This record gives sequence, C-alpha cells and structure tokens, in this order.
Amino acid sequence: MKLIILSLFSIFATTFAQGPTLVLLDNQVIKETHSIFFKSLQDRGYTLTFKIADDASLVLSRYGEYLYKNLIIFAPTVEEFGGNLNVEIITQFVDEGGNVLVAGSSVTGDVLRELASECGFEVDDEGAFVIDHLNYDITDEGQHTKLVVSSENLIDAPVIVGPKKGIAPMLYQGTGILTDVENPLVLPLLTADSTAYSFNPDQPIKEYPHAVGRDTVLIAGLQARNNARVVFSGSLAFFSDEFFTAATQKAQGGESSMKSGNEDVAITISQWVFKEHGQLRVRSVKHHKEGEKEAPKDYTIMDDVVYTIEIDILEKGQWKPFTAKDIQLEFVRIDPFVRTTLKRNPSGQYEAKFKIPDVYGVYQFKVDYDRVGYTRLFSTTQVSVRPLQHTQYERFITSAYPYYTGAFSMMLGVFVFSFVFLHLKDDDKKSKSE
Amino acid sequence: MVQAGSKKSSVSKINTKAGISSLIIFVVLLLAWIAGFSSRLFAVIRFESIIHEFDPWFNYRATAYMVKHGFYNFLNWFDERAWYPLGRIVGGTVYPGLMLTSGSIHYILHLLHINVHIRDVCVFLAPVFSGLTAISTYFLTKELWSAGAGLFAACFIAIVPGYISRSVAGSYDNEGIAIFALQFTYFLWIKSVKTGSVFWAVAASLSYFYMVSAWGGYVFIINLIPLHVFVLLLMGRYSNRLFTSYTTFYILGLIFSMQIPFVGFQPIRTSEHMAAGGVFALLFAVGVLKYMQSMMSKSEFKSLVVFGGLISAAVVFLGVVLLTYAGYVAPWSGRFYSLWDTGYAKIHIPIIASVSEHQPTTWFSFFFDLHILVATFPAGLWYTIKNINDERVFVVLYALSAVYFAGVMVRLMLTLTPVVCILSGIAFSGLLELFLREDDSSRGEDSEEEEQSTPSKRLYDKAGKVPKMKHEQSRDTDNIGPNLRSIVTVVILLLLMLFAVHCTWVTSNAYSSPSIVLASYGSDGTRQILDDFREAYFWLSQNTADDARIMSWWDYGYQIAGMANRTTLVDNNTWNNSHIALVGKAMSSNESAAYEIMTALDVDYVLVIFGGVIGYSGDDINKFLWMVRIAEGEHPKDIRESDYFTEHGEFRVDAEGSPTLLNCLMYKLSYYRFGELKLDYRSPAGFDRTRNAVIGHKDFQLTYLEEAYTTEHWLVRVYRVKKPDEFNRPRIPIANRIVKSSNYITKKNIKRKKGTIKNKPLVVKGKRLSSKQ
Repeated sequence: MKLIILSLFSIFATTFAQGPTLVLLDNQVIKETHSIFFKSLQDRGYTLTFKIADDASLVLSRYGEYLYKNLIIFAPTVEEFGGNLNVEIITQFVDEGGNVLVAGSSVTGDVLRELASECGFEVDDEGAFVIDHLNYDITDEGQHTKLVVSSENLIDAPVIVGPKKGIAPMLYQGTGILTDVENPLVLPLLTADSTAYSFNPDQPIKEYPHAVGRDTVLIAGLQARNNARVVFSGSLAFFSDEFFTAATQKAQGGESSMKSGNEDVAITISQWVFKEHGQLRVRSVKHHKEGEKEAPKDYTIMDDVVYTIEIDILEKGQWKPFTAKDIQLEFVRIDPFVRTTLKRNPSGQYEAKFKIPDVYGVYQFKVDYDRVGYTRLFSTTQVSVRPLQHTQYERFITSAYPYYTGAFSMMLGVFVFSFVFLHLKDDDKKSKSE
Repeated sequence: MVQAGSKKSSVSKINTKAGISSLIIFVVLLLAWIAGFSSRLFAVIRFESIIHEFDPWFNYRATAYMVKHGFYNFLNWFDERAWYPLGRIVGGTVYPGLMLTSGSIHYILHLLHINVHIRDVCVFLAPVFSGLTAISTYFLTKELWSAGAGLFAACFIAIVPGYISRSVAGSYDNEGIAIFALQFTYFLWIKSVKTGSVFWAVAASLSYFYMVSAWGGYVFIINLIPLHVFVLLLMGRYSNRLFTSYTTFYILGLIFSMQIPFVGFQPIRTSEHMAAGGVFALLFAVGVLKYMQSMMSKSEFKSLVVFGGLISAAVVFLGVVLLTYAGYVAPWSGRFYSLWDTGYAKIHIPIIASVSEHQPTTWFSFFFDLHILVATFPAGLWYTIKNINDERVFVVLYALSAVYFAGVMVRLMLTLTPVVCILSGIAFSGLLELFLREDDSSRGEDSEEEEQSTPSKRLYDKAGKVPKMKHEQSRDTDNIGPNLRSIVTVVILLLLMLFAVHCTWVTSNAYSSPSIVLASYGSDGTRQILDDFREAYFWLSQNTADDARIMSWWDYGYQIAGMANRTTLVDNNTWNNSHIALVGKAMSSNESAAYEIMTALDVDYVLVIFGGVIGYSGDDINKFLWMVRIAEGEHPKDIRESDYFTEHGEFRVDAEGSPTLLNCLMYKLSYYRFGELKLDYRSPAGFDRTRNAVIGHKDFQLTYLEEAYTTEHWLVRVYRVKKPDEFNRPRIPIANRIVKSSNYITKKNIKRKKGTIKNKPLVVKGKRLSSKQ
C-alpha cells in the first residue's frame, strides 16, 4: 500500500499566537489613521513590525528562514522597496507559503502593479478612481469617487467575507482592479456596482475605461495552489479609521446606516488572508476490506472496501473535525470507476463503502475538495487491485457438469472394458486349453 | 531397433567398431558442446556477466521473482509496476518454461550447496542449452540420414551465427531453450513416425509441452507436424504407424498445451491451431476409408471416396468458417497475417512493424548468418528428395516452410537455422562419403553400415530401391582418381575452416554486444565503454521515489523495471496498443498537450534516449516516426504523420524540418540545451552526429518539465514532470497586460539601499523645509 497525501498546508498558524507580521507603510501617519485595523490584528495575537516601505534595512528572510509569516503592504505610492525587498522576493515569499495583504490607491506605484500582475490582477492606470454616479456617499467631494458599496457585491463565500446579510454598506475610495479571466484561482472579493467604471475623474473620457460595471473589482483575492493567500485592495482608505467609523448615506436613494460595514468586512478578510479561517487538513486516511481492520497489501477485484478520511478545520487556533455534506470520493484508474459522497460518522470521520469494480489495475482513492475560501483538500492513496488468484476461482462450475460426467463415465467405461477384456481372454484361453 | 543384419559377424569386431564409433560420436558431440559454449562467451569476457538487451531483462526479473517468492506466487504475480495504471498479470501472460528451467537449475544447484546467483544461471543458460540443441540435432539427423551427417549437423548448429545470435551468454530469452525443445520434439516425432510406437509419440507430446511452455513459436510445430501428416496422406503413405503416432501426439499435445495459462483455450479457439484439428479428423476419415476399402468393391469405393471426401471436406470447411463467423474461433491474428502479406503489418498494426526483428530479411543476412551452409543446404535438400521416405518428407517440408518464413521476418531466421544445419550436414556427409572412401576396406565399412540400416529401412520404406541406387552411384564415383579426391577433400576442409572462422568472427563482432553497455574504439584502438544506460537507470533507482512513474518509449520498459525497479507505463510486452498509442501521442504532441496526458497518467519522470552526441543510431528520434504512426492509429484526429514531414516529404531535424516536429515533446526533450553544445572544433554548435545536421530549434525553454539528469554522453536524458502545484499562481504575462506600466529604472545600488516613495514629504531636521532633492 502506498500512501500519498498531497494536501498542502502552511506549517504556520498552528498555534493561537499568530505569526509575526511585517507592515510596510508609506509614512508613519498611516499607522495612526488605520489604528483600528492594526489594533484588531494585535488583539488577535499578531506581532506587527511597522516599517517604512523604503527603509534600507528591509528583509523578509535571513539565512533561508522567513522572519515573518504575513506581510501587509499599506504603502500605495511606493515605487521601489528598500533593503533587499523587491517583487521577486515577495512572490517567492508567496510561493513558499507566506500571506500578503496589499492596499493600493489611485496613485499605486509600479512595484505594486508588478506584484499584482504576478498574482493575476492588474491595477488601473495611475490617477484612475472607481467612479459611480449613482452610488456615492453624501460626503463625496463632487467627483463621485467615494462609493457606497452594498454588501450584495461581496463574494458569495462566508469564509472569506462573513455572512453577507446584516453587513452595512461599505465605503470605498480608490482605484479599480482588473482580474485575469483565465486565472481560476483569482477571487473577486468585492465588486463595484453595475453603474460604476474606473477612470481618471480629472480627464475627459476619450477611450473606453479599462474596467466597467461589475467587472471593476474593488478587492481581489488569490489563493495560490500552495494555499498561500493574497488580497489586493484598490483602496487603502477602505481600512482606515475614518471609513471604519463613518456613517454612510447614499446621495441618490438615500439609504443610510449609522456605521459602515468596512470594519466587519476588513477584519474578516484579514482573518481569511492570514489563514485564521477556512483552513482544512486531512488528519488521517484509512482503507480496508469490509470486516477487517488493517489495509491489505493489495485488493482483489470485487472486494468490498471501506474508506475513511478524517478532515480537520482550524478554528481559533485549534484543529476540529470539519463538517460538510459535499465531500466526494473517487476511485480512479485514469477515469473514475466509482464516485460517491462520503458520509459523516457520528465520530466525525467521513466514510464510504463500495465494491471494487471487476477491473484490475492500480487505482487511487482520490478526495478532491476544492471550495471557494477553503484550502484545497487533495488526498490520493494508491492501491493495487489484483485479479483472482488461481485458487480463488470456483472449483466446480454447474455448466461443466456434462464434462465431469463425460470424464467419469469414460473412466468407468475403461475400467469395465478392461475387466470384460481380461475376463473374456481368460475364458478363451480356458476354452482353448480345454 | 532391429539389428538382425549385423549379428552374423564376430562379436569382438562389432564391439571394437561400435566402441570406436561411439567414442568418436561422444567426443565430437562433447567438443561441439564445448565449442558452442565457449564461442558464446565473448560478451561475458569482454564486458561482464550481465543480462543483455530488452526482453531478457524481463525474463530475468520474472525468474528472480519466482526464485524469491516461489512458483505459485509467480503464477499469481500481479505486477503493479508495469503498464501503470493497468498493471500486468505476469503469471497469465508469460511462457513460464524459461523461468522454470533456470529456476529448477538454481534449485538443484542450491540443493547441492553450490551457491550460484540466479543471474549467473540466467546468463549461462542459453550457451548450455546450445549444447543440448547440438545433441538433439545429432539425433534428429541420425534418424533422418546417418550418424555422420548427424555429427556434421551437430557441429554446424553449435557454431552457426544464426543460432548464436539468440543464444549468447546473457541473451536470456525464450529462443535460447526453445530451439532445443523444437529440435528434440522433431526428433521424437520422427522417431514415433518411424516406429509407430505410442511411447515415442507420448515423448514427443511431452517435449512439445515443454516447447509450448517456452516459446510462442510452438505454433510452428503444431502446424508443421499436421502438414507432414497431410502431405504423407496425399502421397499415399498412410500407415498405422502414422495413425498411432499422430493421434497420440495430437490429443496429448492439445491437452498439455492447454495447461499453460498463457495459451489457455487458444488451441481450440484460434485459427492458427485449426489445421492440426482438421488433419486429426482427416486422418480418421482416411483410416475409416482404408478399412472400408478392404470390404468394398473398387468402383463402390471410388464413388464413396469422391462423394464422401467432397462432402466431408465441405462440411469441415463450412464448420470452421461458421465457427469463426460466430466468434467461437478467433480469426488469424495480425502477427500471423503479416507472415503472408509482408505489407500488412505496416498498414494495420504499426506496433508489429516497428520492431526491427519483424522486418523482412535481406539477402545479405542469409549469408551473414549461415555462410556456406546457405549454399550447401539445397544440396542436402536434393539428396533427401532424391531418397525420399516418410521422415524425409518431414525435413523437406520443414526446410521449405522455414525458408519462406525466414524470408518474411528476420527473427524467423532462427527457425531456419536448424534445418539448414541438418541438410548441410547431410550434404557434407554425402560428399565426403563419396570422396573419402579410398579403398575396399572403407567401402566394406560403408556397406556394412548400409547393411545395418537397410533392414530397418526396409521395414517401412516403400521406396525400396533407394539403397541400391546409392550403391550404383558410389560405384560410378569409384573411378575418381586419388588426386581429384584429395583436391575435393582439401577444398571441403578449407570451406569448413572458413565457415568456422566466419562464425567466430560474426559471433565476436555482431552478436556479442550486450547493447546496454556500448563499446567504441578510438583511432588508436583503445576501447571506450559507454555505460550510459546503467548510469541513468542507477540514477533513477537512487534518486527517485520508490513509486515514481517513468514514461519512456516501450523499448526501455523492461530495462527500467529490471534495472531501476521503477513503475513504467509501457514495456516490451506490447499487449495494449492503445496505452502505447497514448504514450506515443504524448511524445509527439506539443508540450502543453503532452502535459495533460502526462498528468492524467500521473507521470513523474520522462526518459528519452538521445544518440546525437555519440552518433548512436538507435535513439528515440530515429524511432520517432513509429511513435507517430502508432499514435495516429489510435488518435487520427490529433496526430497526423504527414505533419512531421517537410513539404518534400523528408524527415529532418534541422531548420527546414516541419514546425510540428520541431515543437513536439520528443524533439524538445532530445535537444534541450543541445544547441549550446559544441562537440568539436569543426562542427557548429548543436550538430547532431546521428543525423548529420545542425538542429533546427535551438534555444527553447521547457515549461512543464525540467531536466533531472543527463548521462555522461547524453545517451539517456531524464526529465522531471512538474506537478500542477508548482505553477503556483498563474501570472499575467507582460504581453497580455491591459494596463501598461512605465518602465521604472531602479535607483538602488550597492551603497544606496533605500527605496523610493512617490511624493514623500522629506523631513530635514534643523533646517528650513526645502523642496525635494
């Protein structure tokens, strides 16, 4: 039996004390203007290290070990990072499991654009704002860039953004993000309304805007194939104390709320991006013949097999059994021969029982659970299914009885014949001698 | 045997004569065995005691498995490392005779506390069996002609290259023991036809059983023996001896052959075996007719024969046709069709045609493999036809059919070789009988021999005048003068010497290369060993996961399994054409299409053979068209052979080659980084020595694979297939970006590590606020 578990988890965040986090800022002022957001992180156990983005001493790793587990870049205008930090280092950090939260603005620097493109999104031109002439806040200064975004526009994934209902409208002021439609990993966490577009409000519109309507993504997320998470917001102000505490009122339509939904959403997104939410793992995989305990060396065709998998979810720093009804098991030899939904035991294990098909070969038990917001769960276990041994076939087959009869009657016949033959010969001799 | 004729002469004389002749026979056979054994050892002496080529590696692996796990586990062996993910039931898809033979030799030696490694048993099995082949050839020829001819034939078969090519030390293949089984079965068959005894017929069927367990070529026996019987019937040579021996042989042979799991019900279900059954029925019909002949008048009998014969023939024929049509009897297999129509395989079953040993034989290789025997064996054939009797009909048929088959397939040269040796032995002994007989004493000896053999011949040979004719002949030749005699003798001896020299030369130069270790000779005659294959396989066994799956063309499947002990997708047991076609498709598609196939098949590594650096012509690019053809057979929509040719219909790898070829996976894997390699000062970089061309596509990168290992002479290249999660976050290529960014020029250098922030307010302490620097 071979066991391959290919579930990729970050080794981080297994304890309640969250990992060290590097925060890169444009200037020290942002630390004050976004204090609620940072405070919520610190309250949840993150150690934040604040640095100015052009600091000459910036390092992410030392001697091959990362000093930080998460990276927050709240420095939209940075053109070049200080120290040895650059886009390659950051993408490598992502490829090796680090999580990144980036906030841009209408004056996003090239280095952040480059970083965004590496993750599958693009930031609109410099100076461009998301403009919506219908859904702007009454405090807007006339360019209709301070938007009121309804919670309906959030992605349909409670793991990432929390329950959609009950979240107050959010305030947003910043640039639009374009996502790569061919990239299946990119998630539009928050999109603009259908009446919005992204353009420079100070210039006449001569060409078609890069992003129009719902294609204008305000906050984009990426869960890479190694389950590292990246969130890119087009607005730094979205995370600011000002927007967190502000009351919202749409200038047109007049819907209002006392407090914007920014704080709730920003904090849930930060929980998702730093892997407090939606992290799954396979604790154990077991399979055996029905009525046995241990996995056999190989299965025989038409065996009844029991497959058990334990799946855990990380909740508040502790691994707890995960509950879902849509986890499927496939029994694959190039094509799936069996596909069945796993049933949850009372003890929290998922179990499937099925009969191995009448086809020998090398199969894999495959659980591929890929849901928006959750880490991808991919577990394959290779087993070989052998044909019947020469002793395992039926010994007597009903359809062969004519042949058995034939063989035995022949034997009997020969016996009788030889007896008769010998007897007659003796008689002849006797008669002759007589 | 009846030896009534010689009993009258004095006992002592017979004893000494018989003693001397049997001593001579014994010594000659022993020498033949030793010579045959030692001339097969070139490979072991030059290289080492190692298993050769491709199929022997599987046989060796299977034998080692059987020795380790026992026979029943071998019979039930499900090999999950072959044909991933289909697996292979080894016990049911193999002729176990070879493994059983070497396994039991190993067992006996170990019982005697001679601790020989199973590999050495396997390496030396074929040379040892060549001696047994020589002995059984001697007996067969002796039955057909005379002991002298038998000795000649035994000596010939011991050293003839056509047989050595399949039985050098290390060439551990079915043919090595099958030729012995073939010859021995024929000997026993001839013996049983001669004597008409059930004993010899049973012995023949037992030997046939061994042959069935050893080699798929048993079909040759089960068609040739019925053909012999059939021709004897046509010639009106029906006898009770024939009836007894054939019916016994057929029934027992049928039951025995069905005991081999791989053969199973084939003997009663496939067209290849139907002829034997038909002859069996015919023999009974003839027997009945002969019996009725004794009871009926001539005219009655004649009409009965005509009508009955026609009707029964029609019934049998229609029966077989109907059974075939209804699916009870499988039609002729493709391999069999290609024996009749040499173009058949190339069109319908490219996988058979792609094997070099299935190609039609060239005239050159007849001489190369048989030397003077090819010239003398028609003479022997003429002798036998001239002095025909029951058993000589057999050797004539054997010769004719084997010549035909050897012309169709190079591989079947092997079945021709024994009969050529037999007939040449007859020819040489006939010649020497003529020219070496000097005076009366020798003639007396000869006539005595004749006397010895004549009574036994007279027993069942209807052409009774034959011996007399021979006497007349020899009397005519008695007039030959001593000078002519000695000249002819010397010429014959010279020919035989040349033959021996040729055999040794061919064996040493052509057939003694293990083909997994290559040797090349420098300009000063020094020998260089190219051990790239084993280097790569050893690398695989040491540096890859135990369950790593390795994709390669099927030729290397057995070697990877045997030497690297890793899972392969396809191997030399080409039982599943569509799986091979899938691998062929992956090799002939472009990288991204191939990646899809490779991920579907869970491929971890890809192995290609590339001979461009050392000029090794048997590499994958030269085999590539076969991969394309096989892939086209199964996936005609995706792969088309014509795409791989230039407009002029050429297959070229240089800049003029077709773009499909220059971008397919096989090309890329063969020539990756080859464009940077300059082999010597005279040739440009990227010069392929095998195809004498500068490659057409040089500086390319691989997206989905990465080079894992390349051997010293670039002969074997191993690539690792990247896993899907290595493409962690699909980036947007610069060309596809909608928002174009300005090119930012870095301001950082070694000293200045500070980054840049746009519009940064600059705080200067102790001075007045100034504008930006």
